[in-house]
Amino acid sequence: MLYKKNRDERFYIIIMLAPMLVVLISFYLYPTFYNLYNSFTDLSLLGLKKGGAYIGFNNYMRLFQDKAFGRLLWNTFFWLTFVSVSLRLVLGVLLALLLNSETLKKFKLTGITRLCLLVPWATPAIVAVIAWRFMLDPREGIVNQILLSTGMVDQPVAFLSNIYTVWPVVIIIIIWNSLPLVTMSYLASLQSIPKTLYEAAEIDGANDLQKFVHITLPQLMPTTLVLSLLLVVWTFNNFVYVWLTTAAGPGTYTNVLATEVFIRGFVDFELGYSSAIGMMMAAMMALFGMFYYRFLAKKEFSEII
Amino acid sequence: MKLKALILLSGFMFAMVAGWTSFLFAAEIKLVFRFNDPEAKEMREALDVFEKNNPEIEVELQTIAWGNSRDQFLREIAIGEGPDVVHIAFVWPKDMGNAGGLRPLNDYIKNGNIHGGFDSFVATELTTNKKGDIYGIPWTTDTWALVYNKDLMAQAGISKYPTSWPELKNASKMIHEKTGKTGFGFPMGSAKGNTIWFLANYYWWSNGKALVIEDSNGGYKVGITEKDIAASIEYFHSYVKDGHSPPSMLSVSEASNPTIIEALLSGEQGIAMMPPNMLRQLVEDFETRNPGKALPFVTKIFPGGSAGSKTHLGGRTLGINSHSKNPEASWKLVKFLTSDIIFEKFYTKQFPAQKVLLKNITFGPSLKGYADQLALARSWGAYADSSAQIGSMWNQVGRIFGDAFIGSISSNEAGVDVIKMVEKELK
Repeated sequence: MLYKKNRDERFYIIIMLAPMLVVLISFYLYPTFYNLYNSFTDLSLLGLKKGGAYIGFNNYMRLFQDKAFGRLLWNTFFWLTFVSVSLRLVLGVLLALLLNSETLKKFKLTGITRLCLLVPWATPAIVAVIAWRFMLDPREGIVNQILLSTGMVDQPVAFLSNIYTVWPVVIIIIIWNSLPLVTMSYLASLQSIPKTLYEAAEIDGANDLQKFVHITLPQLMPTTLVLSLLLVVWTFNNFVYVWLTTAAGPGTYTNVLATEVFIRGFVDFELGYSSAIGMMMAAMMALFGMFYYRFLAKKEFSEII
Repeated sequence: MKLKALILLSGFMFAMVAGWTSFLFAAEIKLVFRFNDPEAKEMREALDVFEKNNPEIEVELQTIAWGNSRDQFLREIAIGEGPDVVHIAFVWPKDMGNAGGLRPLNDYIKNGNIHGGFDSFVATELTTNKKGDIYGIPWTTDTWALVYNKDLMAQAGISKYPTSWPELKNASKMIHEKTGKTGFGFPMGSAKGNTIWFLANYYWWSNGKALVIEDSNGGYKVGITEKDIAASIEYFHSYVKDGHSPPSMLSVSEASNPTIIEALLSGEQGIAMMPPNMLRQLVEDFETRNPGKALPFVTKIFPGGSAGSKTHLGGRTLGINSHSKNPEASWKLVKFLTSDIIFEKFYTKQFPAQKVLLKNITFGPSLKGYADQLALARSWGAYADSSAQIGSMWNQVGRIFGDAFIGSISSNEAGVDVIKMVEKELK
């Protein structure tokens, strides 16, 4: 009886999931396999009509032999992903703590600060980047005007042309635009921590730092693990911020894998090679996801999902 | 209730009749013309005239930025889509035609009495492949020239305009030293734009070199050495290194970038390079901002080396999509767009690609540099005839130069990379 009930439930679940499965096959698996096929060809944008010729693993060999490949990996993994994700997580926790603090509530500033926080999140990436580019302009930009008027610099700084400032600027723009999501997620988690835990800790004589380290941080861990995974995947694959801010320049100094896919495919017209880079990116993220799930978040994810 | 039903019914009947009438009187043929220049308003007015003269044809004007137009059209033709008539650069028709995207126009040209005849257009070799298929009609032509702020030149104590590359650099330096303003500001970035490509080629050509030349067997080979390329990188980099061109130019990839245009308009930059339509826009903007003030700009030819001053003969072409369902009407539109009324009334910032019409152009003092430079302009020649793709070489040169400008690679390494890239393109 129980077996039959379980079987019926399974059948029901499969039927209900079937439309989504069809959508997944049509819009995810088919393009993925088509892209995989293209990555073994010399397909060019000028030859889309006749298609590309099979060239085996040449595109992949070329990518690994490319002397710029090391820098592409460094830029993508370290600058774009590691630095920007880490900073967003740290700043997100700090801002959430501030927004959740009694001081803001006392001065009735909670509503307005949360509203202000949502403004960058509601700003489209392209608008955010253009606004920042205006602000950072060496001649007219407000940042340089402030730096010059306060005597902090004696010459305008070309932030986007200088190899020492260009990555920090890209990361600031990413943080500005996407930090609210992280902060709001942490804020929701903070508000769900039972107050009794803090009261018990106070009775035991714990100070603020001890409460933060032993109660708050562990309670935020599930949120941190989910956010980390999402931010890493979104950021690693993100093309918009780097391309709109620097177009991978100066030179190719800020080129990342996502912009390389675009440059090779739609600037140099080498769609086959571009597909191979795209497939490598997908493989890297799949490996990361497996590793992350197996070693870091298996317990938390099994509780959440 | 009955009244409401009557009103609803009347409304429905009226909509039906209106729809039917508009269907009856609608144009029989609908064309799409994709246009990439900023003069969309003027072009729409021109198309209104065309529609008035050809009531059976309705033309939708689509606009797209030059930076995206090539990729967009190639993606569309791969699936049998795209505009009927397309506005493309001089060097694209052969590649697009060979890719099956453009319709050969030989029969139309033979029978269609295009204004002045096909031979009356410049640069027809760029639209014709080796088999003799003609994939486009040259529409406008131009070249680039240098624009000087004569007031800043006078303040810098320079009375003779530069005729050699060292003189140009010296003028740039003098402007900066004497006035504190930028000397020669030019795009040194590596994004998808005109980058340093034109300037680098002008430098090489004026010194008797070229990336691609014909060999003695009728094939093509690299016509420049690593050292020549390294020398050109060092020359252009010195503008920033010596401080008379700002470092922000390293992230500027277009001559039309606001960093350059605003600096020219506000008198903060002494020298720039641009095509004539951009100069005309610059003049308009200056006059709007400074009514009654004398124009400070003067145009001059680029400096020369051992082979004299050399720039490229550029321009735009009109092509017909091979998938167009209305090729005859498209050809009619192409003929109209190449007629003299277009350049007299609507598309006035551009020079026509027909030799006869071009002869009639009054350049005036502010455009004199372009008139002089056009006489010295050369075609892309071997670049376009070889198997190398100009667009690809253009982008890669921009990126390699950019890497050398920021010190990621040395100028000698950049020279080697450029040669390898061209050799690969020629295979």
